[in-house]
Amino acid sequence: MTHGHPTGAGPVPNPAGPYPPAYGTHTGVAPGPAHAFPRQQTAEPAPAPSPEPADPPAAPKKPGRDRYLDLLRSVALVRVVVYHLFGWAWLSIVFPSMGVMFALAGSLMARSLKRGAWSVIRGRLRRLLPPMWLFGGVALTLLFLSGWNPGDDPDQGGGSWGLVKLFHYLVPIGAPPYPFESGDLGVLTGGTWADDAVGPLWYLRAYLWFVLASPLLLWAFRRAPWPTLLAPLGLTAVVGTGLVTIPGETGNAVTDFAVYGSCWVLGFAHQDGMLKQVPRYISVSGAAFVMAFGLWWASGHLGDEGWDLNNIPLAQAAWSFGFVVILLQYSPSWRELPGRLANWDKLVTLSNNRAVTIYLWHNLLIALTFPIVDLLYELPFMQSERGVEALNSTYELWAFAFVWPLIGLVILGTGWVEDLAAKRRPRLWPNGSKSSRPKARAHRS
Amino acid sequence: MASPSHRRRAPRPDRRGALRRRVPLRLLLPLLVLVALAAMLMLRGYVHSEILADHRIQKPAPTTEVPEDILEGGPVIDARTGKAATLSVPDHRLVLTFDDGPDPTWTPKVLDVLKKHDAHAVFFVTGTMTSRYPDLVKRMVDEGHEVGLHTFNHPDLALQSKKRIDWELSQNQLAITGAAGIRTSLFRPPYSSFSDAMDNESWPVTQYIGSRGYLTVVNNTDSEDWKRPGVDEIIRRATPKDGKGAIVLMHDSGGDRSQTVAALDRFLPDLKDKGYEFDNLTEALDAPSAHSPVTGPELWKGKAWIFLVQASEHITDVLVVGLAIIGTLVIARFVLMLLLSGAHARRVRRKGFRWGPPVTQPVTVLVPAYNEAKCIENTVTSLMASDHPIEVLVIDDGSTDGTARIVEAMGLPNVRVIRQLNAGKPAALNRGLANARYDIVVMMDGDTVFEPSTVRELVQPFADPKVGAVAGNAKVGNKDSLIGAWQHIEYVMGFNLDRRMYDILRCMPTIPGAVGAFRKSALEPIGGMSDDTLAEDTDVTMALHRAGWRVVYAENARAWTEAPETVQQLWSQRYRWSYGTMQAIWKHRRALVDKGPSGRFGRVGLPFVSLFMIVAPLLAPLIDVFLLYGLVFGPTQQTILAWLGVLAIQAVCAAYAFRLDKERMTHLISLPLQQILYRQLMYVVLLQSWITALTGGRLRWQKLRRTGVVGAPVNGAVPGGQAYQDDRRPVA
Repeated sequence: MTHGHPTGAGPVPNPAGPYPPAYGTHTGVAPGPAHAFPRQQTAEPAPAPSPEPADPPAAPKKPGRDRYLDLLRSVALVRVVVYHLFGWAWLSIVFPSMGVMFALAGSLMARSLKRGAWSVIRGRLRRLLPPMWLFGGVALTLLFLSGWNPGDDPDQGGGSWGLVKLFHYLVPIGAPPYPFESGDLGVLTGGTWADDAVGPLWYLRAYLWFVLASPLLLWAFRRAPWPTLLAPLGLTAVVGTGLVTIPGETGNAVTDFAVYGSCWVLGFAHQDGMLKQVPRYISVSGAAFVMAFGLWWASGHLGDEGWDLNNIPLAQAAWSFGFVVILLQYSPSWRELPGRLANWDKLVTLSNNRAVTIYLWHNLLIALTFPIVDLLYELPFMQSERGVEALNSTYELWAFAFVWPLIGLVILGTGWVEDLAAKRRPRLWPNGSKSSRPKARAHRS
Repeated sequence: MASPSHRRRAPRPDRRGALRRRVPLRLLLPLLVLVALAAMLMLRGYVHSEILADHRIQKPAPTTEVPEDILEGGPVIDARTGKAATLSVPDHRLVLTFDDGPDPTWTPKVLDVLKKHDAHAVFFVTGTMTSRYPDLVKRMVDEGHEVGLHTFNHPDLALQSKKRIDWELSQNQLAITGAAGIRTSLFRPPYSSFSDAMDNESWPVTQYIGSRGYLTVVNNTDSEDWKRPGVDEIIRRATPKDGKGAIVLMHDSGGDRSQTVAALDRFLPDLKDKGYEFDNLTEALDAPSAHSPVTGPELWKGKAWIFLVQASEHITDVLVVGLAIIGTLVIARFVLMLLLSGAHARRVRRKGFRWGPPVTQPVTVLVPAYNEAKCIENTVTSLMASDHPIEVLVIDDGSTDGTARIVEAMGLPNVRVIRQLNAGKPAALNRGLANARYDIVVMMDGDTVFEPSTVRELVQPFADPKVGAVAGNAKVGNKDSLIGAWQHIEYVMGFNLDRRMYDILRCMPTIPGAVGAFRKSALEPIGGMSDDTLAEDTDVTMALHRAGWRVVYAENARAWTEAPETVQQLWSQRYRWSYGTMQAIWKHRRALVDKGPSGRFGRVGLPFVSLFMIVAPLLAPLIDVFLLYGLVFGPTQQTILAWLGVLAIQAVCAAYAFRLDKERMTHLISLPLQQILYRQLMYVVLLQSWITALTGGRLRWQKLRRTGVVGAPVNGAVPGGQAYQDDRRPVA
């Protein structure tokens, strides 16, 4: 899982005009020095909620996890956090996290669907929803405390419709609603923190749609692989380019579904071994053509954020598709991380076991780092002009340094919900070290 | 280059170790060249305002925070002390100011006119232009004009941070110091006009710049010459009313300034007649000069800067020339290839074409093998299906994996195994030659698979008594991987275009080790194979040319071989090839001055081969360097179009080669990626070979690891395996 963009202002075509510019100016948060605007990008992918850490897959012949896929998921997660913190548009090209996350989830889904469709969907929901409820509960509490009344928010359709939409916090069939102008609440100021915190939840909606559609998609894929694989790209060309505009949250949902649909189905193709049957020179060259098309399309449709593919649906779909084809084509199926990568083993394990938690919370935590960094300006030895200058120029680096401990705290504090949701014994810090690994193994086999 | 030395191959582990130790330097040098080139191009892009340029302009703002004195005051704003004051030019004095220069075309003309009328002026120069044309700034100062800062690359300072403003000023100052050896205290902000145009956005900048010790100079009359309104209009706008003093704004850069020059030529004498003096600013204000001489490290820093910029300008000029050469070479080569290979194909495919009477005599097939256990059986089996009478000699070069035993166990009647201590491929071939029963000898690799007709097709040209050696057509078996597909394209083009062309031109540089045939009687006088070079196949082919033999290409003699599967293997293979080719060319350099057939080869073949195999590939990266430069700074769209154009030419040639060889076109889909990724790899390899050659280094043997995965398209035989792989040189 990766990706978090606010319902609307993100990778989604942005049909609704009134949205605040995704996260940009946090002026309110950085009080003293007027420089250094922490830039947090909500308009972006969030991590896939279902790393299926302990997917009980019906694959008795292949016990153990494919560490290559785990590594990809970890990289995607880190990329999402970095992107949301620094707002570097080029990161969306360097590593299209969302596409990768959806492809990984799609692959796992295809593997699980060898069992009955209904029980698989139920299992997915069971693992996804409790962590989300916990986060949603906290977010809604904060929102209500800050004075948000969904029943009185014209942006939510006004009246009781806004209240009905709160249902999305329970089952994210649509992206959970939040106020576009959030009120100040303690250190959370600046009017966009709700967008930061809740915006990324669009990913859960997209994931849910894919999970629900998977039995049908897989059925279609096995009958007509190529059309099913490419249809979402075609759909993106229709709904993601302004050719046809579907208003509101439905439009966002359909566009996201189209943009990442091909990646999801690529996951099927990987799981079914179809990718391996295509000669590599054809798949890689073809992927390069699709990616070149994506870049070309992006060059003609640059948004406010420039080369941020998250704001250019068709480019995002094409680039992610090609990128994922290449990643999965070379998929080496590691039983353990090779060479120097092995040093990262524990972090990879931890981030995979807590992917949902990290994704759900990271953007709210980023918003919380800014007040912490602002405290640095209060330090006595930082009062000089040079001190302030130094802090200004390294503002985001400090935020980056602080966000990881915060994420660690949240993993400690709420991560166990993921275990409960997966009907496992709750673990505090599942990084695969001796104490926790045997349990994980025992569970999967 | 390599001096001939009969070096015995040392035991493997040592050689590997030696190779590993060499790696850093081999990587470092090409890297340094690339970095230096990139830095120079960056510098050029920088002083040409192709990077860091900021063309935004601040929108008009309210003027509430600008003191009345300033808005109403004169055009020279002195904010050096906290209190801002303005100065005006006394009556009957005129200060001409020229912005945005120096310009190589118009500034000299402006200076000429000023000199003619004995007038002084002020030039507000930008850092970029000063860096590029330092001589003009020097001339301004020498001729009594004043220069002032106009920032480094002309952004609207109201939109910039203090840091950037500081940088704009100091970099501009640095350039002026480097050009003329002075500092100046005059400054004019870009996009400025009159004092009363100061607003809440630009005023703080003016104050800040004052605090850095500069006089800000705006103007009284604006000639608006950049709009090119006509000479009369420029004069009308520039002329102050009632004999007042004024600072006049003009431009000596940024486009066609002929009107400005013409206007000056009239304006100066006219106003002189009306009693005006044309002074530089400090003369007009009766103030001490704005220039102060610079000495010491600051001066040298400035001079170094100017030197670097000049160097980058010249280097890019050189590069452009190089690009033109390489462009011509590439196009010429493609045209030549298409024409000659077409002619060759027509000739050998003509109905009733024959080299002479059919060659039916038995021939000897030499299979040098070193640790080929995986594939030797396939190789030998494929030979057994040959429709031409043969004897097979497998020369086991001290294999440790039982290669020889495998062959012996096959118990085939016309197959002999000769064992020797590990001595290298040339020695193995020579031993085979000594033991061959027949005059025509076919050489192949231990991991190559022949078709039944390969030997017959390969030896038919010997019907012509002038033919001394024949090159076959090596094909890639494992062409479904990406790197395999790239090599497949390369092989097909190399055999069907290059080799046909070389055949016609009679300068075939190499008989591929995978499939080639020789007359023993031709090899014996030149001493057989030699291990003087890393590419004994190229070496021996050149020697045959010099001895007056013809070397031809037999397109239907196909051999299937496994190409390297990893970048590392490919790298070491190509490194050996390209360095070996250089060694061979060097070894046969005396052919240039020889008489007879040797001289013909030396004066036609060698230069040709050197040009296309050594020089052209060395310059070829320029195309990619400029592609990158154009993508980043340049006209991006045109750059991409030009690149696609080159790609299209490549694609046409490749498609033609594929058609000649009756190959499926699907592999051409990987051509664009090949052009982006694969070619660069080959450049680096070649660059390394050059460096090795120039530093006199000697390349060690490195064996490729084979995967043995190739499914051969012929009779189910599977080539794949090991050894001698790097010596095969199918591509010209």
